[in-house]
Amino acid sequence: MIKRLKPYAFATLLADATIGILVLTRHYFDDTTAALVMVLAIMAIALLWKSGPALWASVICTLCYNYYFIVPYGTLNIEAREDVVAFIAFTAISIIMGQLSARVEARAIQAEARRIEIEMLYDKLRLATEEAAEAELLRRSEKLKSALLDAVTHDLRTPLTSIKAAVTTILSELPKEDDYQRELLQVIDEESDRLNRFIEEMMDLARLENGGLDIRRSETTVSEIVETALDRAAPLLVNHQVEVNIDPLLPTMAVDAVAFSQVLYSLLDNASKYSQPGSLVSVSARLQDSLLIVSVHDAGSGIPKELRERVFDKFFRGNLGSTKRAGFGLGLSIAKGIVEAHSGRIWIEDAAGGGTSVLVSIPIGSARVRTA
Amino acid sequence: MTDSRDRILVVDDEPQIGKVVRRALESRGFDVRVAPDGESALDSFRSWQPQLVISDLAMPNVDGLTLCTRIRKSSAVPIIVLSVKGEEKTKVEALDAGADDYVTKPFGMDELLARVRALLRRVEPSQPASEEDFVAGDFQVRPKQHRILVRGQEVHLTPKEYDLLLYFIAHRDRVLTHKTILTAIWGPNSVSQGEYLRVFVGQLRKKIEPNPNRPQYLKTEPWIGYRFQVGL
Repeated sequence: MIKRLKPYAFATLLADATIGILVLTRHYFDDTTAALVMVLAIMAIALLWKSGPALWASVICTLCYNYYFIVPYGTLNIEAREDVVAFIAFTAISIIMGQLSARVEARAIQAEARRIEIEMLYDKLRLATEEAAEAELLRRSEKLKSALLDAVTHDLRTPLTSIKAAVTTILSELPKEDDYQRELLQVIDEESDRLNRFIEEMMDLARLENGGLDIRRSETTVSEIVETALDRAAPLLVNHQVEVNIDPLLPTMAVDAVAFSQVLYSLLDNASKYSQPGSLVSVSARLQDSLLIVSVHDAGSGIPKELRERVFDKFFRGNLGSTKRAGFGLGLSIAKGIVEAHSGRIWIEDAAGGGTSVLVSIPIGSARVRTA
Repeated sequence: MTDSRDRILVVDDEPQIGKVVRRALESRGFDVRVAPDGESALDSFRSWQPQLVISDLAMPNVDGLTLCTRIRKSSAVPIIVLSVKGEEKTKVEALDAGADDYVTKPFGMDELLARVRALLRRVEPSQPASEEDFVAGDFQVRPKQHRILVRGQEVHLTPKEYDLLLYFIAHRDRVLTHKTILTAIWGPNSVSQGEYLRVFVGQLRKKIEPNPNRPQYLKTEPWIGYRFQVGL
């Protein structure tokens, strides 16, 4: 309330001060000049405090003009007819000028507000355009990278397909007794497999690093994922004992079955490499709170505590000795990427009775409990 | 003199792959033609009537998927598609469109030959009439009694499990997509009900597999579906 009355108080003060000065100095100018100065004061009030106070100042000035400057002085009466016209004209002019000034000021304020708004909109638009251009650039660059990756992969895989198909054809037609050629052809066959694995791993890694790993979730069972990984790893585990423990009441999971079986395959591959032939490799899956825990355990020499994080780094390779086939040190790094893309975690623990346990946990999320 | 060899049409736009596959198949007694693209493959298919088609998926103009669809409109000839890792979506589409099996590049020739033989065996005219008892590997099927024996032992199946197992046996050595199986056993409206299938597959494995955790008959093809092998 006080805040609203403040402009009226200031308007009253300014109007009264103007009138006071005019009254005290009235001998130096005529009544018309006094009227003009009052109109000037009303315009100033309109500009400073808007139309309400200006109207209020108009009323004060009109009354004071009549009281101090229209004959008979010191009364609100008007004697001469021309003074009545002058009074009406003064009243009308003071009100109109006050209101016009207030409106001009309001317009100026509105125009300024619009200017600020337009500037803000322009800034937003500019930012949006820049962001869109950046996104487009990024999209094109991702597309280019992906296309380049596909082209390189295709160009590497096509000759590999011919080599693999040719060498396996010769191998299958080779007389049994030709050990010399068989051994050399097997080297070509195995090395082309190795090269193919390397291409696949590099592609997976590139996709992971570009954030472009295509995770295609579908409802699947853990036993199917384990089965797929074990089938693929069967040639690697031919000299090991394999044990599988899967809780039969595990829910189905909304995961990428192919990517997840690749994670398990990498763990089985490592288990076979870093443990002695004839030893036990076990795979187990259980539910713990809202997490599915899958673990692969081997009876190898274990991984020192200080290396348990580093084994997930790219191109990290453990000491295999000279007799075993070496990988590229990408399997666990890719496995970590795939697990994390499923909002999960992968880590290493000491296995009970020695060896290594690699554990993977993923939230069961939208999993449904099997009823069968 | 009529050539009694099985005719195989190989479709691949990479000449070296075509050459190697042709050489390997010919040395196993097959009559082989190689087409460098889908369009000429369709021409050869119409004029030469092969008993089996092996086709690459990614080819210019008429690709492998289109080729499968167009061949299926007029023929039930077995089709094997050659795919690479990363083409899974197209592979499923090709299998849904009528391809019978797939082999991932790079492949060993033994693997391709095994798939070729399995599919050619399937189309030999020794397939039993639907109501006659028959033996397929480790499985003895007695349709009139709705009974199936595995390794000489009768397995107790619910009617739906019986339908599913019979379907698998009848379509053995083929890759069957989830969609194909669901449509065949539960009808076209159940395509999104993959859960049914997983539950029934789990139950079937408990009943027919010596070790359900390491199935030897009913194999999972991740993302795609299942492959049924009847054993020796």
